[in-house]
Amino acid sequence: MNEGLNKPEYEIPPEMKHSVAITTIDRIYNWSRRSSIWPMMFGLACCAIEMICTAASRFDLARFGMEVMRPSPRQSDLMLVSGTVTKKMIPQIVRLYNQMPEPKYVVAMGACASGGGPFKEGYNVVSGVDNYIPVDVYIPGCPPTPQALLNGLITLQKKIDTQSIRDVRWYKKGTSETIPVPVLGPDIMDPREYDLLRQYTFQKLNPENINQPSVAEQEKGS
Amino acid sequence: MDGIGIIKGLGVTLRRFIATYVDDIKWLGRRYYKEEGIQHRSSADTDGIFTVQYPEEKIPVPEEFRFIPFLVYEEKDDGSVFYRCTSCGICAKVCPTQCIWIVRTTDPRTGRPVPEPAEFYIDVDICMNCGFCAEYCPFDAIKMDHDYELAVYDRHANNIYDKKKLGKPVSYYASIRPTNYKREEELRAEAEALKAAKKTPAN
Repeated sequence: MNEGLNKPEYEIPPEMKHSVAITTIDRIYNWSRRSSIWPMMFGLACCAIEMICTAASRFDLARFGMEVMRPSPRQSDLMLVSGTVTKKMIPQIVRLYNQMPEPKYVVAMGACASGGGPFKEGYNVVSGVDNYIPVDVYIPGCPPTPQALLNGLITLQKKIDTQSIRDVRWYKKGTSETIPVPVLGPDIMDPREYDLLRQYTFQKLNPENINQPSVAEQEKGS
Repeated sequence: MDGIGIIKGLGVTLRRFIATYVDDIKWLGRRYYKEEGIQHRSSADTDGIFTVQYPEEKIPVPEEFRFIPFLVYEEKDDGSVFYRCTSCGICAKVCPTQCIWIVRTTDPRTGRPVPEPAEFYIDVDICMNCGFCAEYCPFDAIKMDHDYELAVYDRHANNIYDKKKLGKPVSYYASIRPTNYKREEELRAEAEALKAAKKTPAN
């Protein structure tokens, strides 16, 4: 009998200690959920290397029931944002997050995913994935070592243990809202504006050739 | 002969597999849950299973391992603490990610700066653990820590470390980096001896 399943508030008589467990629905839910978190199999940058190392035999995520890295969001419970999230990547991340079935958790691994890291002021990097999706655990470090990542995952398990069916958002009535996928706009570059941007850059480089035809027009002409 | 490499490789796997069970019997019940077992596991002559049983067993980090920086303070006999940092700001200038924020102390009467930091912040969500601050600090006041278990639920509340959270005693520094500490102390003693020798002829 797993000791973690027993609810400590209820007294079990000593002669029945090893044959009876008194527990609550919450505890069974949380115990089973936290013992089978399947992460999504994707890596974004150098943190991914540490994540791969953690999943391999030296550190072995299987000891926490996380060995099944799913290559599909439909089958995963945990999104390990392992690395720098660029502005080009964030729409895909949000879309994947929306596609994950509930209950779902997000771990921001490393400085870049949690706060932008060394690229915080960069033109192409999102300063913190938590601006777009709710993050449960942040793991500082650049990159966090496998043991630091395991510590973060244990922290996540502890968080799951404190949750209750009554107040977690995915057990409430009605459907939960999907997070709008960020559109590449003025802050996040829009690929549809590439032509305009190219023209603008060209103007800046050669001020005398202001009426340079756009690339699309050039391609049409040739 | 073809395939000899495969047989050799599988032989290694088989040997490990058997050694795991032999090790299990040899260290029955005390491998991960007793101090001696953990010590044996982290030594070079451990055998069998390769996996580190993390929360119980931790791989000892090398001395030069670096994580988030910390501020070194000296404890005086009367219990007060003295930060080695003089708020010169060299660490903040060399920091490639600019994650260090220092507020200098000024003397309220004269308005002149006092060589100690009023506030010292490091944003660990930006810090990339490069160790430049520790490398450049002329007062040995900022050093790289070994503690990596820093996962939190809320980064805005917890991940900007202030002076109090960063401060750690010299004894802690000496315990995590003994050779570096010894070398620095020797250099310091040498410099002080030189200073004293210079002073003597003038008197």
